[in-house]
Amino acid sequence: MPPDGWPEKAARFTYIVVTRFFSIAVLLAAWEILARSGTFTPFQLPALSNVLLRIWQDAVTGDLAINTALTLYRALVSFAICAVGGVAIGMAMSRNRLAHWFFDPIISVGFPMPKIAFLPVIILWLGVYDVSKISIIVIDAIFPVIAATVIAIQGIERELLWSARNMGAREREMLWQIVLPAALPQIMTGLQVALPLTLIVAVVAEMLMGGYGLGGAMMTASRFANSTGVFAGIVEIAVIGYCLVKAMALLRRRLLIWHQEANEPTTA
Amino acid sequence: MKAPLDRSRRLGRVHATMSVPAQIVVDQVSHLYRPPRGREVLALDQVSLDVANREFVALLGPSGCGKSTLLYLIGGFLPVETGAILVDGKPVAAPGPDRGIVFQHFALFPWKTVRGNILYGLERQGMPKDEREQRALDFIELVGLNGFEDSYPSQLSGGMKQRTAIARTLAFDPKILLMDEPFGALDAQTRGLMQAELLRIWQRTPKTVIFVTHDVQEAVYLADRVAVMSARPGRIKTIVDTKFDKNDPAIFKAKAFVEKVDEIWNLVKDEAIKAQGKRT
Repeated sequence: MPPDGWPEKAARFTYIVVTRFFSIAVLLAAWEILARSGTFTPFQLPALSNVLLRIWQDAVTGDLAINTALTLYRALVSFAICAVGGVAIGMAMSRNRLAHWFFDPIISVGFPMPKIAFLPVIILWLGVYDVSKISIIVIDAIFPVIAATVIAIQGIERELLWSARNMGAREREMLWQIVLPAALPQIMTGLQVALPLTLIVAVVAEMLMGGYGLGGAMMTASRFANSTGVFAGIVEIAVIGYCLVKAMALLRRRLLIWHQEANEPTTA
Repeated sequence: MKAPLDRSRRLGRVHATMSVPAQIVVDQVSHLYRPPRGREVLALDQVSLDVANREFVALLGPSGCGKSTLLYLIGGFLPVETGAILVDGKPVAAPGPDRGIVFQHFALFPWKTVRGNILYGLERQGMPKDEREQRALDFIELVGLNGFEDSYPSQLSGGMKQRTAIARTLAFDPKILLMDEPFGALDAQTRGLMQAELLRIWQRTPKTVIFVTHDVQEAVYLADRVAVMSARPGRIKTIVDTKFDKNDPAIFKAKAFVEKVDEIWNLVKDEAIKAQGKRT
């Protein structure tokens, strides 16, 4: 016998999942039906069930865990570097004229550039292993963090800073105790943009450089004309990306419990 | 000590019946406002004002007359470039906890609770932990926010936010309270309650108050003296004595009070019209 209230809870959970992921479910169902209808050859579009079977087999052999771990490792290490470095550069730019003078043109030119185009140069200089992969990811994903930090600090009301000075805060204390927390909501927004970017660039870099990792596994599958393997990679990346974005939204709610938005329904 | 005394004597024309040396001396202060874009504006033009210890002075004038600028100069938030401002005989150089400020839009730290906001200043003053916890509670009680100690500003109404801001400033015990249109962002009922409450608090913890407002009745009700400022460039046009029995519940209907409001309103009206004309 399940405990009291259990069926209601289960029903509620199912309801939430069904309503929330309805469009995804329709898409997946359409995929399966289309693949089985014979409109496409299994090479052009393998059935979803076969793709899931392939993912299961990869999970059993341990390939899935290794590839996922490697891709996540590259993405998350890069993300950590972007977070610390981006906030540091952004802070330096808003507080130091020299730093602003130096970095501002780089940001303006670099932000809209397709940074992945640097990949051949990065490979030439740093090789094809993790250092070069992490470098290209950082180069790509650090820009939104810097930009968000600069804008966030610019937007702090002077009254807030004046209040802190009025109460006797010294310059060094201001940075950690006032400027950083006041800028946090917008910095978090920058980090939420950067996180999926790190995953995207990690997969793209792996696809271009080969080796282990989800992107590398997809390229290998592609070379062996194994379209089920390619589609398995796409599904895996989609699920991981969703989990990362979700985790980040949760972290935001945790960190910004004091913020106005904590009292409002979530959109992420 | 000699120079400031001389100065305050020289300023006798502004405040003729000065028996004690003024706590705050504003002497011939001009301030040029330089916007990032556009022309420079002379915000204050040779403003002089003395404020005695424990006096409540209102700065009244149309918007853009530089009354907030004068407050920020006294607070040390803006640099004094022309003229001099002395507090207790010493020139103002930087913000300090001897001059506590309350802003129109509260400027609370949104990531700190009511208690955390009040504790911050006490921490910076180096007060021992037990003492500051107790003091924070005392001031939460003083402004009637019991039960909201652990609420964040985003969970409070405008009036409660301003109570928190006032408690936060009073808690670090400034000798001088600088209030920049503190009730300007509140609805009429809340404003009335907060005015009475401010008077109650001020009578319990007497401090020198400089109170910026554009509400004539508020200025006459709260202040001992009202300095009426002219439109751009900001000057002090006249200073009017407005001492009334604040605890009289019928004060708003008293003839003398109504006449005083009328008199000052007429002074301000000209300036407000002038300010309107200049803007359009």
